[in-house]
Amino acid sequence: MALAGRRLKRLAIFAVLCVVVVVMLFPFAYMILTSFRSYDQFLAGSGFSLDSWQGLSDTLPVVQQLINSAIVTISAVALILFTSTTAGFAFAKLRFPVAPLLFVGILAGMMIPVQSIIIPEFVNIANVGLINQYPGPILVYAALGIPFGTYLMTTYFRGVPTELMEASLMDGASYRQIFTGVMLPLAIPAIVTVAVLQFIQIWGDLLIGLLFLNQPDVRTITVGLATLQSSRIVPVPMIMAGSILSALPAVIVYLFFQRQLIAGLTMGMGK
Amino acid sequence: VRDAAAFDHAVAEAEHARPPRSTGRLRRSERRAGMLFVVPAVVLYATLLALPILQTFYYSLTRWNGIDATFIGLGNYERLFTDPTFWRVVANNVVLLAAIPLAILIPLAVAFLLNEHVYGWRFFRSSYFLPTAISWVVIGIVAVRFFAQRGILNSLLSTLGIPLQTDMLASEWTAMLAVAITFIWSVFGTNTIIFITGMATLDRDVYEAARVDGAGGFATFRYITIPLLMRFIQFAFILTLITGFTALFSLIFVMTRGGPGFGTTTLEFYVYQTAFAQGQFGYAAAVGVVLFVIVFGISIIQLRLFRDRSD
Repeated sequence: MALAGRRLKRLAIFAVLCVVVVVMLFPFAYMILTSFRSYDQFLAGSGFSLDSWQGLSDTLPVVQQLINSAIVTISAVALILFTSTTAGFAFAKLRFPVAPLLFVGILAGMMIPVQSIIIPEFVNIANVGLINQYPGPILVYAALGIPFGTYLMTTYFRGVPTELMEASLMDGASYRQIFTGVMLPLAIPAIVTVAVLQFIQIWGDLLIGLLFLNQPDVRTITVGLATLQSSRIVPVPMIMAGSILSALPAVIVYLFFQRQLIAGLTMGMGK
Repeated sequence: VRDAAAFDHAVAEAEHARPPRSTGRLRRSERRAGMLFVVPAVVLYATLLALPILQTFYYSLTRWNGIDATFIGLGNYERLFTDPTFWRVVANNVVLLAAIPLAILIPLAVAFLLNEHVYGWRFFRSSYFLPTAISWVVIGIVAVRFFAQRGILNSLLSTLGIPLQTDMLASEWTAMLAVAITFIWSVFGTNTIIFITGMATLDRDVYEAARVDGAGGFATFRYITIPLLMRFIQFAFILTLITGFTALFSLIFVMTRGGPGFGTTTLEFYVYQTAFAQGQFGYAAAVGVVLFVIVFGISIIQLRLFRDRSD
């Protein structure tokens, strides 16, 4: 009797969790199904066609915008990794003047909402002529990612035994050699976590891309998609095809690095 | 969860200089290396984060069109606090605030069920977390299709035989409700993962003891799981709060553009509108300062909470 009750309870839990899966995965199913319909089929509610996928490339420079997204995202992530590993190593392992002050200052950057700095940022970037140039948004994204990246890398490097560094110093290695030869290889798990979190965040960002890349041929796919949607004249199935295309890279990254993403989230920040 | 408490901890550690360990020459080279290694991060941080936040404060005291700024003291703030639109915008933020209990309780309950590790729970966990990987823009696009007059919600209602048709995005408060529901849906995965991580740290024996004492599922949840998870609940709460105040720009842009009227304009969206649609950069900077003060305040409270607990 008790066993039967237990089974029933677990079955009920299973059923509830299934319902939640439907709610969470429904948008994905809807996007995929709708994208494989022509507009007429969408209105009729049945059928299969590749029209929308073909139409998408005529309406939106999707290939160019995917390339733009890749350039901007990968460069910004690379810049974040470079700055946060070097700074993290210094804050964790080296003694130098004003280090505590700089560290606290950089970490306080995590508390600045992007909307609170966006106006002067835009004007400054415009004044140096970087609107509609890749380096503009790349630099802004990189700066926004530095506080969290530096925090995570510093925490990680603190866990690496200082003896490792001292032994190399005795052998006459320079700090640069220690950093690239000893520290970086040890920090790969943290580096992957920062890279994955920042990739997903920057790939999906709208505001920075919208302001700093306002010409269709330099826009990122996320911005292209948002402007397509807000024009309200583009057929729904085509927008869904665009949505899938824009979501796919981040979803692939997610599927490969789920564990690191969760690790990064529970380290304090994330999306 | 190493959360922002770690910030506190890290700061405390950074303040304790380690004992001297090497000769003067080595010490000098360490200092030089340290300073060189932080230069890239500090330069980017100073020019692209620290400088603009200071500029925002300064420009909030000016009338500014992006080129010429005239100093007007607290004029923008006086105008802001007497502007009915501003208070309408704040009210929208309050609606989002009111959605937070649901954005915490639903994931908490689901995490509790997930923690029973029934058949397929790993698949469930991955599915719940998957939306975290897609952008707010894509979420917003599907949400528009869901709430639209000829959308999914209405066809669902008629399929179920419910004689009710909605058009939530067409009027102010229902549009805000639609945004809030989408917000709850979007943070579900993140919060569930936080709670599952928390539950994994709990001691199985406590549950055994509760079961032996005859506590039922709900009593266990209410009197054991929730109190033991308080740290994680606080963390999820703060994270959701900050998300609600600072991360919904794209969602609102795609779903409603802040409308109808100012029906779904939140503080962060108001900054964008007043600056880039109306060209009132100084006034928008004042809104930006208000937003900064709120978010900074929340973060400070968070640090306090975690400090109290770690001592």
